[in-house]
Amino acid sequence: MTSKTPGKKPAEPLGEFTRFCPLADVPAGTRKALKMGDSWVLVINANDRLFAVAGLCSHQAKPLLNGRVRNCRITCPVHGARFDLATGEALDLPATKPIATYDLRVVDGWIEVCL
Amino acid sequence: MYDIGRHSFIVTRVAADDVRAYYNACLHRSTKLRASGTDGSTQEFKCPFHGWSWNLDGSLNEIVCDWDFQHVDRDKFSLPEARVELLGGFVFINMDKDAPTLADYLGPEFMAHMKAWRLEDRYIQSHVMKTLPANWKLSMEAFMEAYHVINTHPQVAVSNADANSQYDTYGEHVNRFISTLGVLSPHLKGQYSEQDVLDQFTIGDSSVLGDSERKLGEGETARQRMADMMREMFEASTNTDLSGVSDSELLDCFSYTLFPNTFLFAGISLPMVYRFLPHPEDHRKTLFELLFLRPVPVDGNRPDPAEPTRLAEDQSFTEAQEIDPGFGEIMDQDTENLLLQQQGCEATAKPGITLGSYQEIRVRHFERAVSRYVDGG
Repeated sequence: MTSKTPGKKPAEPLGEFTRFCPLADVPAGTRKALKMGDSWVLVINANDRLFAVAGLCSHQAKPLLNGRVRNCRITCPVHGARFDLATGEALDLPATKPIATYDLRVVDGWIEVCL
Repeated sequence: MYDIGRHSFIVTRVAADDVRAYYNACLHRSTKLRASGTDGSTQEFKCPFHGWSWNLDGSLNEIVCDWDFQHVDRDKFSLPEARVELLGGFVFINMDKDAPTLADYLGPEFMAHMKAWRLEDRYIQSHVMKTLPANWKLSMEAFMEAYHVINTHPQVAVSNADANSQYDTYGEHVNRFISTLGVLSPHLKGQYSEQDVLDQFTIGDSSVLGDSERKLGEGETARQRMADMMREMFEASTNTDLSGVSDSELLDCFSYTLFPNTFLFAGISLPMVYRFLPHPEDHRKTLFELLFLRPVPVDGNRPDPAEPTRLAEDQSFTEAQEIDPGFGEIMDQDTENLLLQQQGCEATAKPGITLGSYQEIRVRHFERAVSRYVDGG
């Protein structure tokens, strides 16, 4: 079964953007995970684009940090669930729920994420 | 993950030239370690149920609460493996531990062909999956001859010498045809000009030709013009070097069947792989995969393999953006035949099929191999 539910979008009105890390810390083809408040956030620089998603898999809350990123999708390294980085959609078993996705922007050389 | 029917394997690279295929089931209570249809990278294979895990080399890593499993001999709890061999950038697996080597199975002639084609230097540019409405054997056989082209695909017959195709068999498990493109079908002799042949030439991806001039000069042939255009424009648009590739390898349809389930189209204009797998729940359907393999760019940067596009059974191949519309139409025509053939096989009063001596020799060759493995005959 594949979930068709899109990932969580920021509630309206938009929350505040918070500095995540310098842009230079996430060059093309890399990723970085940090805890922001109570949430692990994973920022990924792939396919000429920056993505910000939940840092933990929706299946069994395992870290996604070391998962393979290909074609704007990340694969959980523990059990193999895949997620669309743009929408958070769960693409494969064993995950049936999406992961959160966050708005992201770059200001003065810093990546900022809106939780 | 690679599934055949209800069998499922985790195919993983352990070292540069060490690829393994593990039976995809936990040795505790048999849960699949990974869901079918997935891929990825990992440092271990961990069961989602109770967390037993195995290392990439198949050895047992962890039993949660191992004090409760003192009766388990860790040395006997490595993941069971199928045999694996690598050839031309492809992974071949075999569940039969007593089977011959892949080189013996495929035979020396084909192995020499594979070496020359250098398919390991290509990458998966696009990948389309679709369920076909017919049995696995019918589906395989629909693509083994050019005999059907004049009736099923009349739109391409003008530039395909269908009935002049060459058919070859190599040992027990490999066969091939070479269907020449850019020349008129012998069925249509005298009815079309060289310009007509050029105008109706269909290739796997016509976009590589752009808006090039397609008006033939005095005495020029469609085939030579197509070869020259293809060579120049394909090299430019894909950043590849075709200087060592002949006009025939560039233009013509070289179709090999590797028993039981693989077609390799080794040429450049139609650089495809077909894979046919029996449907795990319905013997009247087949899981079909179409992959386009392009040469790796000369700068050596191998693009990531394309994500598969999954078409529903009732969708047209032309709905897959990766497929040239002209080629999608051809595949749709083949699919329409398959539905009627499946139904006809169940409706016929005549047992068996009647095959041509030459143009359907690949079908005979394939059926003989099926019989040998299924009936022992």
